[in-house]
Amino acid sequence: MTLDIPTAVKLASYAGAGICMGLGAIGAALGEGYTAGLANQGISRDPKRSGEIVKTMLVGQAVAESAGIFSLVIAILLLFLGFPTTSMVSAMAFIAAGLCMGAGAIGSGIGSGYPGGEACLGISRQPAVSGRLTTNMLIGSAVCQTPAIFSMVVALMLLFLDFGKAPVSPTWAALLGAGISTGMAAIGSGLGGGMAAGACCQGIARNPETTGQVTTTMLVGQAVSQTPSIFGLLVSFILMFKSYPEAATLAAPMALLGAGISMGFGGIGPGIGNGLTAQGAVTWVARKVEASGVLTRTMLVGQAVSQSTAIYAMVVSLVLVFVV
Amino acid sequence: MAIEGADLIKAAAFIGAGLAMGFGAIGPGVGEGFAAGKACEAIGRKPEEAGLLTRTMLVGQAVSESTGIYSLVVALLLLFVV
Amino acid sequence: MEDLTEIPQFVIKILGFNLVFNVETIIMTWIVMGVLIFFGFLATRKMHFLPNPFQVVGEFLVGGFYNLTKDALDEEMAKKYFPLICGLFMFLLLSNWLGIIPKLSEPTKDLNTPLGFGIMGFFIAHHAGIKTKGVKNYLNEYFQPIFFMAPLNVIGELAKVVSISFRLYGNILGGSIIILIVSHLVYGLLLPPFLICFFGLFVGSIQAFVFTMLTVVYISVQVK
Repeated sequence: MTLDIPTAVKLASYAGAGICMGLGAIGAALGEGYTAGLANQGISRDPKRSGEIVKTMLVGQAVAESAGIFSLVIAILLLFLGFPTTSMVSAMAFIAAGLCMGAGAIGSGIGSGYPGGEACLGISRQPAVSGRLTTNMLIGSAVCQTPAIFSMVVALMLLFLDFGKAPVSPTWAALLGAGISTGMAAIGSGLGGGMAAGACCQGIARNPETTGQVTTTMLVGQAVSQTPSIFGLLVSFILMFKSYPEAATLAAPMALLGAGISMGFGGIGPGIGNGLTAQGAVTWVARKVEASGVLTRTMLVGQAVSQSTAIYAMVVSLVLVFVV
Repeated sequence: MAIEGADLIKAAAFIGAGLAMGFGAIGPGVGEGFAAGKACEAIGRKPEEAGLLTRTMLVGQAVSESTGIYSLVVALLLLFVV
Repeated sequence: MEDLTEIPQFVIKILGFNLVFNVETIIMTWIVMGVLIFFGFLATRKMHFLPNPFQVVGEFLVGGFYNLTKDALDEEMAKKYFPLICGLFMFLLLSNWLGIIPKLSEPTKDLNTPLGFGIMGFFIAHHAGIKTKGVKNYLNEYFQPIFFMAPLNVIGELAKVVSISFRLYGNILGGSIIILIVSHLVYGLLLPPFLICFFGLFVGSIQAFVFTMLTVVYISVQVK
């Protein structure tokens, strides 16, 4: 059974659409369910506030949904947009795009559920600061969506850039590696950022007068925990934009695929770990604002050490791309 | 594209290096992050002890890093020696 | 759709080297600089106790960033570094907002701008570290906790520059790509302005603030 190029490209784009929406639905649903659960907990504490809590829950769920909507957009593009079919490389690009967006939406979806839930719970505890809680929930969720945005950027580039002129043999692995690299690395960063944002909303509900300091610490903690997904984005760009000579052996494509796997999976753990660190730091900045300086410094030192395995993974990726 | 023996070995070595470092980075990342989070909590409870708590955190994280370093060593061996 | 990755460039050949200027980025940067200088002039023209609106905004920004810098560094270092921090924030904020205006685009959409600021922050932080701690102590820091961790520490410092620049670049570029693609798909009036508001104003402000805060924090980590 021989596949000609247009058939292979169609096959790949449909498979990619399926992978994209299938994986992408996981995260958003989990996050929104968590928000709804904590909202119910909040209502059981304070039934009179149910209207306000449900409103906040819906807003929080809408932001958590955006990762799922990014997946839907990529899936629809893969299904209905007619693509120029010039070479088999395009087929691999479409599968890679689907994988990238699908995996990338998991982390951000689950992560955005935390601030929504904690904000709803916080409203039941301290109804007076509901405006501030909603604002911080939106800020935290929006920053938490950043890894999904990176995945969408890489997926769109894989869809729309023309790779037809590149030789088939190593480029198929480079594109697949590019998709895996950003897609997987975004899982950890999304989760980590969400944990920090949840702790921020919880802290504000406990101690509303510490809002400024807590929000600042949350933003710094979230920014550092997004670093593994940024490394993934960097490796993806390098894999997509480097030009490769034609490879007759199997070794060269496997090296590029290995680079993508290394950075992709290597970004999961440090992202989650940095989120745990930021969660601890933000919780205690809310409880003891005077210690915020030493807490921020300790958080950064701890996060820097915890990111070292992401840096090892990036070094191995870069060695696989450039040296071998 | 004829797949020869030596070429197949090299290809497998590269994929192995990627898998080794990729999956190997998950555990230390989560573990060290957990340690740092608890250290922040402890400093929040007692800011005066920040020096001792930070030192303990760093020692614990260094030990937790060891499997990550094993992964790095195996990956580099697969890349350059095999 | 192909104009996603096109950059209008202007090439001068000098002595066999190519000097490449990214025209669009340079012009947008000049626009941002012009607006900021004009704003600064208006805000400080005749300072009364009953301030005009520009002076209010200026005092708010300056006061806010002085407090933030004082929290991270100590008093006299804060006085030295906070003009840089405040200026950096205002430049990045206006750059990220520039994309909302129809024919203009953000200078931070080109990798050179965030990377330039990241490298600048790196040199400033390390210069402050060397000046405060002395060269021997500064070099000793790289060999903590075990001496063969030195190359990994160096890579970690470089990774900080990469992460801080690429975060800003990725967010702004990603926002503009998403707006372009979704507008192409929707042809409608309702969705794109909302997206532009979200990505341009909201995400742009947050990312400018995060970049600035991280620069302050990196300086303070080197100095402590």
